[in-house]
Amino acid sequence: MNLLDVKNLSITLQSTAEPILAVDRVSLSIKEGEFRGLVGESGSGKSLLAKAIMGVLDDKWKVEADRFHWQGIDLLRLTEEERKKIITRDVAIIFQEPMSCLDPTNTIGEQIEEAIDSKQLSGYFWQKAQQRRKAAIKLLHKVGIKKHTLVAKSYPHQLTTTLCQRVMIAMALARRPKLLIADEPTASMEPANQAQIFRLLASLNQLKSMSVLLISHELDKISHWTDNLTVMYSGQFVEAGTTAQIFKTPFHPYTKALIASTPTPQKQWQKKARLETLPGTIPVLQHLPIGCRLGPRCPNARKKCVTAPQIRSYHGHQVSCHFSHKDEY
Amino acid sequence: MASLIEVNDLSKRYKVNSGWWKKEYKTVLKPLSFKLESKQTMAVVGGIGSGKSVLAKLLVGAARPTTGEIILNGQHLQTGNFKQRCQHVRMIFQDAGNTLNPSLTIKQQLEEPLLLNTRLNPQQRTLLIRQTLQKVGMLADHMHFYPHMFSGGQKQRISLARAIILEPQLVILDEALAALDLSLRAQMINLLLDLQQQMGLAYLLISHDLDIVEHFSDKMIVLRDGEVVETGTTEQVLKDPKDKYTKKLIMSQRKRPAI
Repeated sequence: MNLLDVKNLSITLQSTAEPILAVDRVSLSIKEGEFRGLVGESGSGKSLLAKAIMGVLDDKWKVEADRFHWQGIDLLRLTEEERKKIITRDVAIIFQEPMSCLDPTNTIGEQIEEAIDSKQLSGYFWQKAQQRRKAAIKLLHKVGIKKHTLVAKSYPHQLTTTLCQRVMIAMALARRPKLLIADEPTASMEPANQAQIFRLLASLNQLKSMSVLLISHELDKISHWTDNLTVMYSGQFVEAGTTAQIFKTPFHPYTKALIASTPTPQKQWQKKARLETLPGTIPVLQHLPIGCRLGPRCPNARKKCVTAPQIRSYHGHQVSCHFSHKDEY
Repeated sequence: MASLIEVNDLSKRYKVNSGWWKKEYKTVLKPLSFKLESKQTMAVVGGIGSGKSVLAKLLVGAARPTTGEIILNGQHLQTGNFKQRCQHVRMIFQDAGNTLNPSLTIKQQLEEPLLLNTRLNPQQRTLLIRQTLQKVGMLADHMHFYPHMFSGGQKQRISLARAIILEPQLVILDEALAALDLSLRAQMINLLLDLQQQMGLAYLLISHDLDIVEHFSDKMIVLRDGEVVETGTTEQVLKDPKDKYTKKLIMSQRKRPAI
């Protein structure tokens, strides 16, 4: 069964004179135990989508959807409080720059203990502090921190970014979530440390069968770890499918250009050859093109592209394009 | 033919909390030598604290080397002589948005190196700024804009324009491609490769993305804790890494296998 099932989710910014459609009819579904990647350039609305799932957007943003189900429960019909109850129980999120997310005035141990739900602790009230401390240490072990006493005693500024991100993951795991949303967890990290964090997420995904939604702007870096990928461009849905489908047979011209533009060791490149790119840059939110937002940069664009295409699905490989590359393979 | 740039036994060490009589030093870059021709790119790869940024600082003249010499076109580069050096060696940083002054227009920013280093009159300066902006794929009229009006990729182009406006021979790219989005990064690589052919530039690319290094560079140096671990042509090092650390670096960036 689908854990999360979102269809045609739109997010509108209403504070300005003219409402801006920041995310335009995006669909996303996550199964239990799935490792899904969400890829898009900066400003493509990936983080907004994550925030909309968590329900942490403020009044300026208006979220609409045809379907917004969590384990079969329609979240849009619930009151805000009921919804929050379900989301905080089952979904956890970690952000980029873990240093700035942790409280600099408290030790790591205190912060993790705070995140542990007292309902998980059994026993009398005088035993609870002890149990809480034990649970915190257990969580630190779970994310691969062996020196738990040292880490629990230190403050966030005394640890490296990688360790802080591990601590963030430990705090996210405290309530045993069914879905972990990782919003660019490895931005500004070294490749070796990035691999560590990805490996940790992958092992949690496999051992605890926790679903992971990994948000990133680097398609090639996360592709090694993900089962499925969803690609977004400028707030619109582009393509979704298994990682192999996306890489082997990209249907959308945008995905195709993205894959062609990264040098990979597998392809035989002529050294210093020009890379294939799309012309231009991602449009700013104030001046979005109508219809398909890739239009002005797209090599396949024709007159029909001024109307936004519908999502079509071929054996689970979804694409949103009038002139897809489907027939070329 | 003599090399464009030749570095002999360049090293750097800092003094750390010395007592009154005791002196302690921390070596951040052990003696290192290399040669680089024009139209060639050398990549420097290594982890945090491996001394790659120190190497860039030494070459650009922001820090004084402890030992060693840098020879450019057969000329010895003196440490304090910025006038001589900044005409030939320029640098681009990772975060383009922060290296541009937000209160100056693009024209003012690009004019600054010209005012300090050349004797061109105002018309010639404007003409050169126009040409340089067109070279990096922007419009000449963009020079009246302020930095906040541009996107990240365009800002990176402007800082490239500022680097090449004095027609240098060596450009140091300190993680200049790391923060860009994928499609912008490919555009930037294309632009850098074109400029290399047109102007005969030599690049020193500091990066940790080995795919880009493999595509972009001719030679590479692997640094670890200030020590050269491995050096050679890029194909040779990446195909057949001799050192354990290099192997680890390559392994850590393994991508999904060929489908």
